Amino acid sequence: MKKFLTGAALAALLTAPAMAADIKVGSVAGITGPIAELVAPIMDGRALAAEHINSNGGLLGGDSMVMVPADSQCDPKAGVDAGNKVVNVDQVVAIIGASCSGATNGMVQSVTIPAGIPSISDSATAPSISDLDDKGLVFRTAPSDAYQGAALAQYAYDQGFRKLAMTYANDDYNAGIATVFAQVFADIGGTITANQVHEPNKASYRAEVATMAGGGDAEGLALFAYYGGSGITIIKNSLETGSFGKFVGADGMFDQSVIDQIGADTLRGNIWLTQSASDPDSASYKSFAEAYAATGNDPQAPYAAHGYDATFMLAMAIEKAGSADSGAIAKALMEINDPNGVEVGPGQWAEAKAAIAAGNAVNYTGATGSVDFDANGDVPGFYGVNTVGADGSWETTLLK
Amino acid sequence: MDALYGYGIYALTLASMGGIYAILVLGLNIQWGFTGLFNAGVAGFIAVGAYTQALLTTPVSARHIGGIEMPIPMAMVLAMILSAIVAYFIARICVRLRSDYLAIATIGIAEILRLIFKNELWATNGPRGVSQIPKAFESLPQPWNIVAFLLMVLAIVAVIYILLERARLSPWGRVMTAIRENEQAASAAGKDVERFRVESFVIGAALMGLGGALLAQYLKQIDPQVSDPLTATFLVWVMLIAGGSANNRGAILGAFLLWTVWSATQILSGFLPNEIVVFGFEIGNLQVRSAYVRIFLIGLILQFILQQRPEGLLPEQRPAPVGMGKLQGERA
Repeated sequence: MKKFLTGAALAALLTAPAMAADIKVGSVAGITGPIAELVAPIMDGRALAAEHINSNGGLLGGDSMVMVPADSQCDPKAGVDAGNKVVNVDQVVAIIGASCSGATNGMVQSVTIPAGIPSISDSATAPSISDLDDKGLVFRTAPSDAYQGAALAQYAYDQGFRKLAMTYANDDYNAGIATVFAQVFADIGGTITANQVHEPNKASYRAEVATMAGGGDAEGLALFAYYGGSGITIIKNSLETGSFGKFVGADGMFDQSVIDQIGADTLRGNIWLTQSASDPDSASYKSFAEAYAATGNDPQAPYAAHGYDATFMLAMAIEKAGSADSGAIAKALMEINDPNGVEVGPGQWAEAKAAIAAGNAVNYTGATGSVDFDANGDVPGFYGVNTVGADGSWETTLLK
Repeated sequence: MDALYGYGIYALTLASMGGIYAILVLGLNIQWGFTGLFNAGVAGFIAVGAYTQALLTTPVSARHIGGIEMPIPMAMVLAMILSAIVAYFIARICVRLRSDYLAIATIGIAEILRLIFKNELWATNGPRGVSQIPKAFESLPQPWNIVAFLLMVLAIVAVIYILLERARLSPWGRVMTAIRENEQAASAAGKDVERFRVESFVIGAALMGLGGALLAQYLKQIDPQVSDPLTATFLVWVMLIAGGSANNRGAILGAFLLWTVWSATQILSGFLPNEIVVFGFEIGNLQVRSAYVRIFLIGLILQFILQQRPEGLLPEQRPAPVGMGKLQGERA
């Protein structure tokens, strides 16, 4: 009897791991550091995807997807350190992250590319990441700034603007978009009459506004800033001095307080802000938003949907690869967006699993849009243009 | 087996970063430990070294200046020289200031340097930083690239250690200690105090520049965050004070020890359950929260060491006065 029990226990021990093994995925993000409050909802987005996967059959033969967190602090030093830890100590098969372009750039170049581990960042937007010689290992679901700057330049041109003055806050995000905007706007035939960088958080920008107004007869101001840092003040100063009356900008300016502080009537028809947007009417966004809101979070939180998509796509790639081999996963990431494949979206893990098991091609349409990786591992991203609506709140039109 | 190999690789990367910090701490040890110069602008010299290395060795890029693909060792030497030149001009102006005023001046200078690197977009790509920095031995297959880089860092630490020990025991080192202990007495003994202080400041800054050059290679990506006061100036100071100011071995020990604490505490967080219940209160999301505990831990260690061992783990050992050794030998 005793022998039988021991035997049974041993058998259980031997078979149990094979029945429900863990497949470890690194979840690297700036948990502490300058964007800590933005990262918490992103981590929740990743966790929600993992939960959808694990509660609907898990990976491969029922393995669970285990997210191993690590802190990249929005700093290359910490990013490299966090990458080394999850790759070597935890032996993860792939990484979601890191947050922030600098930390991601450091981590992928000095850790994951040499080690052959694929990574999908959900919030690194620097164009320089596209240039890396990444051996097909670096992906991101956050669109490069290059795309938003270009989208806005084209939109402004289509709206009839030919001469614009430009100013941007001196941080990596706004400087990145502004650089691309200036380049593309000039390329398609527009003119930047003045290009002025400013430090955020000053009490007044009258001097900067006067300099820009002196640069030539601009039809409006391209303003790249965070609304709370300098954006609202610059709009105020421009209107007070009568220098500029029309404004175009990017998502750093997108907030209700802009309308509340300046006045809806003043801004109506005079401001256009692009924003990395999901189509709020699409079924894929709705199913994400519903599930995410149920966890007590705001589905509009920046990059939360990107975090969900990154995690879900990685799981699909593992399923498609049929093994937890890093090289095979990296290849498979390029194969889960077959235009002729079975369409799956957020929350439809059981469907995705069944389709892959049946040997069918799949096409993931995520919470953030179609998320088709190009040769650089980038997604084009979708943008909406916000204008002031009749009720004094922002009205989003999706750019096609 | 795989797990063991992984831990091994992780240990190598840990030691590489520890070695880079050891070079920085040795640089600060010359300034503060030997001569008593309160340099609170370590980050500025790291940034000068790191940006020199980055801009000289990277391939041509439209995002920043440079792009001459200089050989790595030559760029490292230039990083030291440039850092020394910057330090020389700062020292000529500031080094006569008493310690606390020097601290204020150097903080200001480090901030100026950081803002230059952040704002001169045409030269440094601003806040986006410089990417694709070549790293020594990176063409070797994994894991030999990691091993070779670590050996290079350790060799540099060893060479610097030997040279600094020679300097410490030499008349030059004794003058430094004399200046630190009593400036007027050193001056009265006919020593040109200001010249010695400038020398100490410049040599220390050159080592910080070298550390910055190695850091740029190790990370392959730098941005103005490289001179973030917390992980540059503050951490280097903690390492020196904890390890033992004015003791070169203490400086090296402090660097490796503190970096291990800084980095390896994240391994411990992996063993935490994600939720625990204490006295009926549910504490959740521990694996995320533990990231904050690491920062707290560094402060705690510093407090503990300062309370228990005010002179650091390895206190200063004064060299025997010249001639005294012989005298004692005769007596025995």
